[in-house]
Amino acid sequence: MIKQLTARFGGPMTLVVLLLLWFWLIVLVLLPQLIMIDYSFKPNLIPSQLGGPEDVYTLGNYQTLVGNDIHRTIFFKTIWSSILVTLLTLMVSYPVAYFLAQLATAKQVMLIALLLVIPYWINEILRTFSWYLILSFQGPLNALLLGMGFIDRPIRFLSGDGGVLIGMVYAYILFMVFPLYNAIESLDNNQVRAARNLGAGLIRIHWRIVIPHAKPGIATGCIMVFMLAAGSYAVPALLGSPGSRWFTQIIYNWFFEGGNWNMGAAYAFVLLILCIGFIAAIMKVFRIGLGDIGK
Amino acid sequence: MDSRVHLDNISMKFGDFTAVHPLDLDIQSGEFFSFLGPSGCGKTTLLNIVSGFLEPTTGSISIGNEPMGAVPANKRPTSMIFQNLALFPLMSVAENIEFGLEVRGVSKAERRKVSDRLLELVDLPHSGQYRIDDLSGGQKQRVAIARALAVEPKVLLLDEPLSALDLKLRQHMRTELKEIQRRTEITFIYITHDQGEALTMSDRVAVMSAGRLQQVDTPIELYRKPKTAFVAEFVGENNRLPGKVVAVDGDQVLVDCGAAGQFRGQLGGQLEPGQPCGLYVRPESLKAATDQDTNRLDVSVETVNFEGAHLTLETRHAQLTSMVHVQADQRAYGGQVEQGANLSLGFKTEETVVLPEDGPLETIHD
Repeated sequence: MIKQLTARFGGPMTLVVLLLLWFWLIVLVLLPQLIMIDYSFKPNLIPSQLGGPEDVYTLGNYQTLVGNDIHRTIFFKTIWSSILVTLLTLMVSYPVAYFLAQLATAKQVMLIALLLVIPYWINEILRTFSWYLILSFQGPLNALLLGMGFIDRPIRFLSGDGGVLIGMVYAYILFMVFPLYNAIESLDNNQVRAARNLGAGLIRIHWRIVIPHAKPGIATGCIMVFMLAAGSYAVPALLGSPGSRWFTQIIYNWFFEGGNWNMGAAYAFVLLILCIGFIAAIMKVFRIGLGDIGK
Repeated sequence: MDSRVHLDNISMKFGDFTAVHPLDLDIQSGEFFSFLGPSGCGKTTLLNIVSGFLEPTTGSISIGNEPMGAVPANKRPTSMIFQNLALFPLMSVAENIEFGLEVRGVSKAERRKVSDRLLELVDLPHSGQYRIDDLSGGQKQRVAIARALAVEPKVLLLDEPLSALDLKLRQHMRTELKEIQRRTEITFIYITHDQGEALTMSDRVAVMSAGRLQQVDTPIELYRKPKTAFVAEFVGENNRLPGKVVAVDGDQVLVDCGAAGQFRGQLGGQLEPGQPCGLYVRPESLKAATDQDTNRLDVSVETVNFEGAHLTLETRHAQLTSMVHVQADQRAYGGQVEQGANLSLGFKTEETVVLPEDGPLETIHD
């Protein structure tokens, strides 16, 4: 590869490119991670103790997580809720993506894509706050439902996980719609027609033809949404009730309120492992390689 | 099995554009019926109407005497072979063939029997486990046929299924399609712009142009007795001499072709004396003139093409702008015709067709 690059760009240019690449990879990506991992295996010491007899590698930080019932529960609840967010987002996005990719006219695609993207021109915090207003006890959603007679007393959307789930599905819809759209768009419409011609109904056409074809897109979307959800801070912080704390909030607390970076690093590292594990599991379930996800 | 297809006053409009003008058509049970026409003539639209993918603007369809108006595409007794075949690439060959049966809730063992039998029929035994991508073009073609036959349709719809194949394979598949049709006794509706395909395989052919049926006939009748100028020019090679009707005499017409002379031909449509018309003679009907010939045309040879069994000559009459194509046995003219040679051509009245000129070409927007 270096030979090809040299042939194309000449020696000096190749060197610059490679140096920049390595700088990015080592200094900006690898090194910070390694420092955090290093932190996570050390006790939280005041500066004068650094290098002293207590400055040794230990599993203590990880043991805290394992031993702390509340933190452990929140960890597993974060996994579960993130999976739930991922599935909900998939369910909401699939029909939209299918419509855009197979049924919509060019004009409709433009319009809907624009409508999907416009909210992202606004800061995530503001977007989430707007949901806080919409979902609040005396907010417009309750007023609407009351007015239309669907409910006789307002619902507390923001207590429990409901608000967080809605906020996250909303926040990550694009990350699901676009990979799905890409995957479904490449499906030859004649396949759908052929299945229909052979007698298949709507559900079977999707189950046997469209979804298998869209698998790489579904996997990519699920991985993205799961990681964003598991690592989200703003949505649970704003829309969550005291009972629906997210693991990221605990990590935040260790860093900025507890002042214990070592503990925070250990917690963050566990979350990273979890995400990598999730990617591996999804790739296994969908039987796809890393290359398919990039598509 | 009654698998007649009846089209009653079917027409199709897309916005202002009329893809198919109102037409009636009866296709017999077990017939190999082709729609032949240039692209954009409305033949694919008709196929989509029969399959139920399109709702006709007017008219109704029945298959085997059952009205299809309220029957959705996935419930019709039709099965389609798509131009690009549209096999399911993520399923094996057997799964493709069995898909229609899976939909109908047929048990796995039963399905396997059917797909094995069909793979035999299309000459691909023991290949059920292969992936679609592992097959050659011709094999894919056969799988598509087997998949369409698996659901035991009354009518098989074929949308230019051979167009992606190379010439040799295409000719081979023609024979095979015809053979499969004979064995299964299913009504075949075949769409093509390739007249060779239509003429060799079909019992009857409907020639279409600009959304209208030009002529529905057996291949031989289409070739020998075209009823419109479009059919005469679209089906097979033909020479057209423009002229004016001098006299109509029973089923014969005397035509004045100006400087080229006067000729006699069969009356092919409605003609009155004085009306402009076209005189059509096939290249193989032009022979070296003999004393018996009433129709004679003197030409000079411009190009000679030796094509093995026969020669094709491009010749020109001194006063005519268009070329006259002649096809002759390679031994004709003593086996020797040279460029620049002068020939006197003769042609029989019964092999000459006189047709009125087609009206002005349909504008696309009605």
